[in-house]
Amino acid sequence: MSKEKKMKRCPVSLQPDVESMLDWNSLTAADFEPATQDEKEDFIPERASVSYWKDAWRRLKQNVVAMVALGVIIFLFLFAFVGPFLIPYGYDQFNSGAENLYPFHYSLEDQIRVEEEIAARTESEVMDVDAMIAKAQEEAAANGEELSAKDIAIIRAQARASSNSAAAEDAETDPAAIRKELGIKAKLFGYSRDELERKAAGEHVFPHIFGTDMYGRDILVRVMYGARVSMAVGIFAALLVLVIGAVYGSISGYFGGKVDAVMQRIVEIIYSVPEMLVVLLIATALKPILTEYVNSGSGPLKSFVNTLGPNLISLFIAFGMLYWVTMSRIIRGQVLQLKQQEYVTAAKALGASGGRIIRRHLLPNCIGQIVVTTCLQIPSAIFLESFLSYLGVGVSAPLPSLGSMATDALSGMYTYTYRLIIPAIVLSVMILAFNLFGDGLRDALDPKLKK
Amino acid sequence: MAKYFAKRIGMAIVTIFLVTCLTFLLMNAVPGSPWLSEKTPSEATIAALNAKYGLDKPVIVQLGMYLKNLLRGDFGVSLKMQRNREVLSIILEMFPVSAKVGAIALVWAVLVGVPLGCLAAFKRGKLTDSILRVICTLGISTPSFVVASILLVTLAGGIASLKIFPTIFDASAGWRSYVLPCFALGFYPMCYTARQTRSAMLDSLNQEYIKTARAKGLKNGKIIFKHALRNALIPVITYLGPQVAFTLCGGFVVESVFSIPGLGRYFVQSIQNRDYPVIMGTTIFLASFIILMNVVVDLLYKLADPRINLTKGGE
Amino acid sequence: MAENKENQKLLEVRDLHVSFFTPAGEVKAVGGISYDLNYGEVMGVVGESGSGKSVEAYSIIGLLQSPGKVIGGSITFEGEDVLNFTKEQMTAFRGNRVAMIFQNPMTCLNPVFTIGNQLVEALRAHDKSISKRDAEKRAMEMMELVGINNVEKRMKQYPHEFSGGMRQRVMIAMGLICHPQLLIADEPTTALDVTIQAQILELMKDIQKKTKMGIIFITHNLGVVADICDKVSVMYAGKMVEQGPVDDIFYRPAHPYTKGLLRSMPRVDAESYERLIPIEGTPVDMLNPPEGCPFAPRCEHCMKICLKKMPPYIEVGTNHRSACWLRVQEQLEHKEEKADE
Repeated sequence: MSKEKKMKRCPVSLQPDVESMLDWNSLTAADFEPATQDEKEDFIPERASVSYWKDAWRRLKQNVVAMVALGVIIFLFLFAFVGPFLIPYGYDQFNSGAENLYPFHYSLEDQIRVEEEIAARTESEVMDVDAMIAKAQEEAAANGEELSAKDIAIIRAQARASSNSAAAEDAETDPAAIRKELGIKAKLFGYSRDELERKAAGEHVFPHIFGTDMYGRDILVRVMYGARVSMAVGIFAALLVLVIGAVYGSISGYFGGKVDAVMQRIVEIIYSVPEMLVVLLIATALKPILTEYVNSGSGPLKSFVNTLGPNLISLFIAFGMLYWVTMSRIIRGQVLQLKQQEYVTAAKALGASGGRIIRRHLLPNCIGQIVVTTCLQIPSAIFLESFLSYLGVGVSAPLPSLGSMATDALSGMYTYTYRLIIPAIVLSVMILAFNLFGDGLRDALDPKLKK
Repeated sequence: MAKYFAKRIGMAIVTIFLVTCLTFLLMNAVPGSPWLSEKTPSEATIAALNAKYGLDKPVIVQLGMYLKNLLRGDFGVSLKMQRNREVLSIILEMFPVSAKVGAIALVWAVLVGVPLGCLAAFKRGKLTDSILRVICTLGISTPSFVVASILLVTLAGGIASLKIFPTIFDASAGWRSYVLPCFALGFYPMCYTARQTRSAMLDSLNQEYIKTARAKGLKNGKIIFKHALRNALIPVITYLGPQVAFTLCGGFVVESVFSIPGLGRYFVQSIQNRDYPVIMGTTIFLASFIILMNVVVDLLYKLADPRINLTKGGE
Repeated sequence: MAENKENQKLLEVRDLHVSFFTPAGEVKAVGGISYDLNYGEVMGVVGESGSGKSVEAYSIIGLLQSPGKVIGGSITFEGEDVLNFTKEQMTAFRGNRVAMIFQNPMTCLNPVFTIGNQLVEALRAHDKSISKRDAEKRAMEMMELVGINNVEKRMKQYPHEFSGGMRQRVMIAMGLICHPQLLIADEPTTALDVTIQAQILELMKDIQKKTKMGIIFITHNLGVVADICDKVSVMYAGKMVEQGPVDDIFYRPAHPYTKGLLRSMPRVDAESYERLIPIEGTPVDMLNPPEGCPFAPRCEHCMKICLKKMPPYIEVGTNHRSACWLRVQEQLEHKEEKADE
């Protein structure tokens, strides 16, 4: 369409060949009648005026990355808040007999086959164990003592351990090698032996999709609760920051002058405080303080503090003390800029009060920036929470947090890598999704910033 | 400029003072005496501490005494971790290790992050830009303990790993020990720097002086690396301050994961052990260091920008 | 050098189409403009914001940035096809044979380099053989030429130490340093104070006399044009609606838009009772440009055909042409009269 050329190219003369271009005779007198006003108005095709939010939403929808991130956030929300209802395990429920399960299992028949195979290969050693027990019993009887069941179990365990370590060196009795030899493949989800037997008996057993930890707690449920804690912390912290920052920033920007100078000095000081360090310090100090407070008696506030846990409270206090600074600066800047605008002067001239001007004129105009900053505050809060939990001053046990789950998994990280990887991935994906969505939101809400 | 210097340093001193007070008061508010471990110390220790810190006196007096001691370089003594050892000597022993790892991490982060940011800005909207954008957003979304553990599991230990690098830090073992911790520690700042550089570069490339440079007939390379980058680096410098802080605090985690005998790991252990004098001393030391680094970076920023008048006073 | 080439073509633009491909659709910023510029000639390009004047100039010097693209037409400079230049050719061409200065001298100089550095850089980009000392000498000569005193010291200063007018002088010096045949000045006085504007205009006139280079002077201020230009093009919504010698444009405007512009311009010689008359309405949406004459909705003489078809260019005087159906109508009547005779 753009390539069509109505006019002929005339490389030599500037003057287009009017005679040939125009069919003079086709022009009628009617063509030269003055046009009516209506005709003139119809001439310009109306472009639908799009509201700010609609336009922003349109831009956001076009941003594939941001939409995928939004999808991930919604999924994680459902995962964290609805998920636990679908799983019949509790986050602090010890499933005895199901400790240290991998997120995969071998079917009952295969397990038996492997065991038989091992038994066949190490028969002599097994005999030895029985012989050892018999010997120990004899010795005990000689001493006039009765060998308890516990002692027998200890001997058995020792024997098994030594035979296992021997087996590890000896490829022939290594279960992994045998499984490979027999062509046994792992099946998805973790089941304990007991659970498999119950399942074989026709009972409905819910699998441990991500396996279990060393206490037999279902990792999936714990990750769900961890994600819930992270999200809740992130959102509440962001809201806290929003409220404090918005109030502080708009007051500072609106009143200006001495008020602003003093308030900005305070902001400058807080700004140069190393937040992470102070947050860590506050969390460290508040934990015993709040714990003592909770233990000192009972009352509605105390039980509230107890439910939330001292660490979460110190986290929020830290956010409320330190993290609103950026937000207040942004809002102050916007307010200062908007204060110069004519409509604010007009509103002032009409006698609108300060509060009204802030509410009706200033805030709606910086809402885009506020939304974006709030949204980007969520991942940074999650980040910080995981950092604190990782260092052991975050969310209190037994409530799981993605960070503390990662710490717990550190001890066995080479054997039970999935215990570390799963919460780590969920955490990273969550922060990533919030970050990408926040970036997309910024691009959509402020086309000027779009790079 | 001198006036600005003075003002900036004055502010830094006020901030350090406030952080110190906050630290002291917080630790003081902890139930039981922060100076005493759960295990009752010997009578002699209690007496010595009481004499030294005046525990029977009001909090304000105690604070004053603590500050006075601080000025004399007396950070108190460790109560649990290394009993009766001077906190200051612990800090001075451990900090160089942390500083070395942190400095290496920060240097590689900047050396890689800035060119990557330039590349992304230059290839804006292309595949390279998108890939870098995802990597860098992933980088700032992944806590350093995750990066560190993944590195450990894949490259150092574990069943399916390559076992190229040692799992436990050993300064005497040479550069191999430094690779993983420095990578883990520098990954976030690298991605952050790249993102900031990209947006600063795009901002700079949109400026009119770039149009002038193009109109002059300069080559692309010269436009990007001389005109755009020089301007883009000025805001990037300002982010270095927070990066120093982040690297040091990130060090808490990374040092713990890799068992680096640095101040960060010691700090974490002191928190877990509730060794309050160590916590306080370390917090005050690190906070002061970070605040002073911020001042340095801020002054660098002023020096890098010729628009700031160096001869006259004021901002 | 240019003297002997007078009345020879320096630049020839034919049917230039430039579009911006935005997410909302194609914006036809320039929709088919043609003109010639001779050696040593000064042409004014007049039009309101968004009429495509700058875009047109950028396409000559290859400064169009994505999403802008030349989609049709030709630009010939001294017989060479500018649009088919390779990247290297274009780099060698810009700043050397054609220079450009911009509207806002405050933001057009790089704040972190000295003036001397930026001037020398412009010279050495095109003349690799010149030594740094010689380049600095040339730069200082250029600065003296544009009326900057104390050049030794000024060379070492940064842009923020210069006033707006002085910076624009530096920009001009930078443009002239390679002795280009054509200088494109994109609203060089708009951002300046009125008194400074006059100084800069005077300077440009002066330099033009000395160097005999061609100038394309882009402005939205007709008054500026009268002072300095030999001929004028009036642009509206990406179309050139009228073009002609400067006197014709001022005394015998042929297009209602030009007339409107003249009426909305304050004049020293105006009678006291004359009032400034603004042009009513707003420019058309360049995203969906209508079929007919873009000025039609704002035109007091709008006819039915204006809304249907773009008028052709009609010669209304020597080298003076205009695209308006009124002129077509006149010619028709003229023809009929002739036929009647």
